[in-house]
Amino acid sequence: MNSKISNSFSKDILKFENVEAEADRISKRLKDDILGVLKRKGAVIGISGGIDSSVTLALTVNALGSENVLGIMLPEKDSSPESKEFALKLAGKLNVKTLEEDITDALIGFGCYMRRDEAVNAIFPEYNPDRFKMKIGINQSGLNNFLPPVFSLTIIGPNGNEKSKILPIKEYLQIVAASNFKQRCRMSMLYYHAERLHFAMIGTPNKHEVEQGFFVKNGDGGADIMPIAHLYKSQVYQLAEYLDIPKEIIKRTPTSDTYSAEQTQEEFFFQMPYLEMDLIWYGLENGVPEELVGNVVGKTKEEIRHIYNNLIRKKKTTEYLRMAPITY
Amino acid sequence: MVDILNIQEQIRQFILKTSYVSADQVNNDTLIFAQGIMDSMGFISIIGFIEDNFSITTNDNELLEANFESINAIADFVFRKLNTNDNK
Repeated sequence: MNSKISNSFSKDILKFENVEAEADRISKRLKDDILGVLKRKGAVIGISGGIDSSVTLALTVNALGSENVLGIMLPEKDSSPESKEFALKLAGKLNVKTLEEDITDALIGFGCYMRRDEAVNAIFPEYNPDRFKMKIGINQSGLNNFLPPVFSLTIIGPNGNEKSKILPIKEYLQIVAASNFKQRCRMSMLYYHAERLHFAMIGTPNKHEVEQGFFVKNGDGGADIMPIAHLYKSQVYQLAEYLDIPKEIIKRTPTSDTYSAEQTQEEFFFQMPYLEMDLIWYGLENGVPEELVGNVVGKTKEEIRHIYNNLIRKKKTTEYLRMAPITY
Repeated sequence: MVDILNIQEQIRQFILKTSYVSADQVNNDTLIFAQGIMDSMGFISIIGFIEDNFSITTNDNELLEANFESINAIADFVFRKLNTNDNK
């Protein structure tokens, strides 16, 4: 245990004392790495109107100037229309050129929807993608015990009625594998534009996404630089305020924007609000006693122990996603 | 009717086959998740195995440590389900 950290542990421990200095440090690194290390003359970023890609875009514009940055929107038929609206608003504010590449036809070509719907139909024969919406979510009960989480499939019918079932392994893996075409397709398109322009591709995941494995290997986990991968989510928000990101983007609830039914990232994967998760993750990484973390976030020592265990498990079981190919 | 020793043995064999650990590392009281013998894919596999093999259905509210933490716990859970008609 680091006693200095434990003594100073509070709900404000992750706040930057000088947010401007951190923004400048990241932008300087971006400039040095894109121009000097990667030898590229600009940057391509996939923009979704979410907080992470918005902050990444603003930092990159500060690094290279708006004329050397291209924002690309990559919607598909399940995407929320809000994503495009917010992405365009930010790009307009930063004076960044944008492109829209609708990847729906490419995904149809891969059989993304057909393969996903086949697995959904195996669980719910009444599911019809034209009339029903679907999502998968993590089982919440796993957070408070030593059992790993399981995923449930939910379908929402035309009358708004929901039905959920625990996903068997075969269908779970097929739905995830099919849905991952979306992120891999986006990565391919982003690299097309990056290579065409001799630009670098800038990834947008934050610390939780990278370290807990909430990304697709060779999908949104594929990029040349990930400039906010060291930042807790609350720090991303702090930077967003400093960078004057539009309020509607800051206030927007982070979603997975992957399945046809609306779904927050908390519901899909993280299982708790980001402010709580930031503090608990920090506590775990720095050996802060469970009781102390519990006092700050309003949970018992036992609850924090279970959450620590859950986070350790997530990190361990997703190690494969962060591994480079094994060579001999 | 399947007896509990038989259920324990079937679950034990399934866990050994899917976890790649040696038989001497797992006894019927080993905490298979807390000790890292099985991960989340293993958990889903176990649920699928007991549902297919014993023709039972598992509900969200039954995903508790008391029912799944060890071979004994899982066997007891299956045994109870098999002997409770309305839970089949």
